[in-house]
Amino acid sequence: MKLNLYVLTPKRIIWDCEVKEIILSTNSGQIGVLPNHAPINTAVDMGPLRIRLLNDQWLTAVLWSGFARIVNNEIIILGNDAELGSDIDPEEAQQALEIAEANVSRAEGTKELVEAKVALRRARIRVEAVNWIPPSN
Amino acid sequence: MSCSHLSTAWSSSALATRRRSAPSSGSSGRLQVVRCSLRELRSRIDSVRNTQKITEAMKLVAAAKVRRAQEAVVSSRPFSEALVEVLYNMNQEIQTEDIDLPLTRIRPVKKVALVVLTGERGLCGSFNNNVLKKAETRIEELKQLGLGYTVVSVGKKGNAYFIRRPFIPTERTLEVNGIPTVKDSQSICDLVYSLFVSEAVDKVELLYSKFVSLVRSDPIIQTLLPMSPKGEICDINGVCVDATEDELFRLTTKEGKLTVEREKVKIETQPFSPVVQFEQDPVQILDALLPLYLNSQILRALQESLASELAARMSAMSSATDNAIELRKNLSMVYNRQRQAKITGEILEIVAGADALA
Repeated sequence: MKLNLYVLTPKRIIWDCEVKEIILSTNSGQIGVLPNHAPINTAVDMGPLRIRLLNDQWLTAVLWSGFARIVNNEIIILGNDAELGSDIDPEEAQQALEIAEANVSRAEGTKELVEAKVALRRARIRVEAVNWIPPSN
Repeated sequence: MSCSHLSTAWSSSALATRRRSAPSSGSSGRLQVVRCSLRELRSRIDSVRNTQKITEAMKLVAAAKVRRAQEAVVSSRPFSEALVEVLYNMNQEIQTEDIDLPLTRIRPVKKVALVVLTGERGLCGSFNNNVLKKAETRIEELKQLGLGYTVVSVGKKGNAYFIRRPFIPTERTLEVNGIPTVKDSQSICDLVYSLFVSEAVDKVELLYSKFVSLVRSDPIIQTLLPMSPKGEICDINGVCVDATEDELFRLTTKEGKLTVEREKVKIETQPFSPVVQFEQDPVQILDALLPLYLNSQILRALQESLASELAARMSAMSSATDNAIELRKNLSMVYNRQRQAKITGEILEIVAGADALA
């Protein structure tokens, strides 16, 4: 049994391929999806998406919030933007994190603080996604 | 020996319409105003020819860009189709429930944010002016209603306009380079979201040019926030547009000329399977979906504004080219006549001289 995974953004189709398993960060924690999963609708939180390919290799992608629907072994993830872990430059991600941290401490007013905190979270997730080591089994 | 008044002719589209409305006067080369020496005439014909080449090239560039803009719309279609389908299904599922979301909360309006989308460049006829004029009227209306307002300007032309007018409160000026991407719409989206949720403003309106045809685009105002929970697009008068219709521009060739067609696609909505569970509260799921929807709306508006700008530039440049061709024709006619007159004069002189000697 396989899963069809579609990751769609307004810009392009990020992923359109069969997979074995995914781990998805939802608003109520991470969920693992295996074939024949119960049909659900869920909000996707900002966070990593782990994909196990047909050859048991793990891949990471980063999702910036969105929505997922799992029906009949078909997973549709809608998001404003998503990045594959392989497309992220580790050094650049680390630098972005440092800049974001500095911005939070400098922010004044509610609006700026909210914006800065969101930016910091994004940067942190990107760094985590790059540095993630897949489970060896 | 005045040549100055003609130098402006090639760039002014107003002149073109005037000339076209009275075609009988211009055709026979009765350009009495041209009083230049032959050499000056020749250099002017050359410069008009150069200008014509430039405007022609700009027209072709705009046409090519329309095609690229269209590709961007096409590549976002799988996403928007899936989004509309999901929204439609969610809508049916939660129609009976009473939902309270920050993005749909209707508050008494005290302050309005006006997002104005303009172009990045000029030389596109009255495109930018139309949008800015509409913005001025809307600001005037808001003032008369006694409401506060703030402007979020997107696009270089609008930015320059609002920076020159410091009495208009401007929240932020943004720029979009090239074809609008999700990043561009996301930054606008984040801004209006934080403005609205922090209750700095109570309503967000989006002002952009709706693409009607290659020669026409209408500046329209659309209410972005608060959203109606059913995911409908409403204009300021509350008239709703069907959200399940997806529009697409298509560049085609009709009778050898480039045209842009607007195609409406009705998205098939499949019946929602009742067994689907909600992992979270429907409110939370809508909370994730609506920003996506907001973003796709802004992206659509940006794309539409760009298409209008390029279309406006295409038609402005094509009328400039037409003008240049006509001007060149008239100038060469005057040049040839003067040349002929000069030769005739010289022959007469020689003949008269020979007669006198005889």
